[in-house]
Amino acid sequence: MKIRDYIPMREDFSIKSLLSFEKTAVNILLAAVILGFLALFVVGVAIYLQHGHHAYNVTREHPWGLLIGVYIFFVVSSTGLCIVGSLGDVFGFKDYMMISKRAIFGSIVTIVAGFAVIAFEIGHPVTMLIYNVVSPGLTSAIWWMGTLYGLYLTFMIVEFYFLLNNKMKKARIFGLTGLLVGLAAHSNLGGVFGFLNARQISNGVYYPTYFILTAFITGIFIAFIMFGFRYKLNFPENAKKLLMGLAKIQALLISILIFFVTWKMLTDIYGGMPNRAEVAIHILGSWTFWAEVFLAMLIPLFLIIKDMGRNPIVLFWASMGGMIGIFFMRYNLVHDTQLKPLQMLKLKEYQLAPQWIEYFPSSTEIMISLGGLGLCMLLYYIGTKAFNLDETH
Amino acid sequence: MARYGMALDYKSCINCKACETACKEENGILMGADSHRIWVGTGEIEGQYPMLDIVSNTFYPSQCQHCEEAPCEEVCPTQATYYDEGGIVRVDPEKCILCSYCMNACPYDARYVDNRTMTVDKCNFCADTRLARGETTTACQNTCPTKVRIFGDLDDPNSEISEVLRTREHFSLKANLGTKPKLFYLT
Repeated sequence: MKIRDYIPMREDFSIKSLLSFEKTAVNILLAAVILGFLALFVVGVAIYLQHGHHAYNVTREHPWGLLIGVYIFFVVSSTGLCIVGSLGDVFGFKDYMMISKRAIFGSIVTIVAGFAVIAFEIGHPVTMLIYNVVSPGLTSAIWWMGTLYGLYLTFMIVEFYFLLNNKMKKARIFGLTGLLVGLAAHSNLGGVFGFLNARQISNGVYYPTYFILTAFITGIFIAFIMFGFRYKLNFPENAKKLLMGLAKIQALLISILIFFVTWKMLTDIYGGMPNRAEVAIHILGSWTFWAEVFLAMLIPLFLIIKDMGRNPIVLFWASMGGMIGIFFMRYNLVHDTQLKPLQMLKLKEYQLAPQWIEYFPSSTEIMISLGGLGLCMLLYYIGTKAFNLDETH
Repeated sequence: MARYGMALDYKSCINCKACETACKEENGILMGADSHRIWVGTGEIEGQYPMLDIVSNTFYPSQCQHCEEAPCEEVCPTQATYYDEGGIVRVDPEKCILCSYCMNACPYDARYVDNRTMTVDKCNFCADTRLARGETTTACQNTCPTKVRIFGDLDDPNSEISEVLRTREHFSLKANLGTKPKLFYLT
């Protein structure tokens, strides 16, 4: 009995095939980057295991740091890839079938990377596994988010299995269920912030809906990157057609996002609500906000509209920049939520009353975050070697 | 069934910080600026010398508000935060996974990470120390030289806290958030 009897892997898949790749400068650089990031992951985790949260720059006033942002970055990517993958195999858009398998596999590796990162942010992950089941907090958005993401991962794996076996009907059923569970999980992640009535800047319906929108945008950015590497920027006609379609959807989605963000800022500032207006004004003064706006919104939108999505090479590079912008989007979301001090009086002699909460990630947080990216890239590379991720019929 | 709360005659506070010290001593709270269950917030004196506004120099002793609609309890994914039979909001360190969601959700900055257990800790009205020994006061109340704090059962009409809340005006912090705090500031 072999694993290949159950999972249709490539015939030539082996450790040797993993190590054999075309020795171009880009490939060697990528291999070095992946190995370097994984080494950083090991070092970061080792430091964390010795010092716990003291290795992070999180504080009483800023309890969530970079790792929460990176976790959100990965799970948003996963949901986005699930949406992109579902266009073909769930909703039956034939032009998008050729990316379904690749996108669904991408959704699995990104959420695994997210779980790998969050495991070192949650102080007691084993306790979490036990008491999430033994005494579930059903009023907690985190409980729903975590539980639904666990289910979502299961559905994605089953869907991928059926896609590999060309059992499209079953893949559609699990794909649709996985998509719905994933969207529920993802909007709950937005709810984690939206439910915080202590944090006026995040409280409300905005994040649960915005998360779904930005997930789709992220999924399309990654679709461009995946296809860019798959075809080494030399796209065949059917890939060009698919990417042009995605680019047009992306233009619409980014336009809606710009509309969302503009009105969020306008209502925050002109609404004048205490603890919300001044935070929004403070956010406008931070370079990370503008990195998000330019890299994830204005530049990709301009480049898509310039030739109506007909130049996938340019959009590949725009998507690379877009993902950097999406990273800042997640980081900003976490940091901006905690900007305003809850305790506005001074607590110590010679201390000034706090104005804004400062935070910059520690080297350990950065190492684990980059390690998550390395893990994601490694798993994806293994997937491309182990499975046929192209459309087979 | 009791429903414990605390009234603070905060204008009597002299910022001696005996309450902070007593809390640390009684409950074994570790040293360090971030490790505190209770604190005294200080408003900065406004105006320029010699025209200082001495009224602005007020001290606000504070701690967990033991809300009846506690956001920290609602957001806890493992029910590690719970209401005990006296309505006191408490943390079960066995169940706490240190996701820190409660620290973000608490509007009063009343929670911190206890480095002994690496779980989230907060004021519990000395429930597992003094109240467990059968005493009827908290450490901070017992030590206060100007008798700022009055701890007791809000459901007992004859308790001192019920009496003082009936006869004196009072307010709660961030009452607009609908958390129904059980800490009352007497005016």
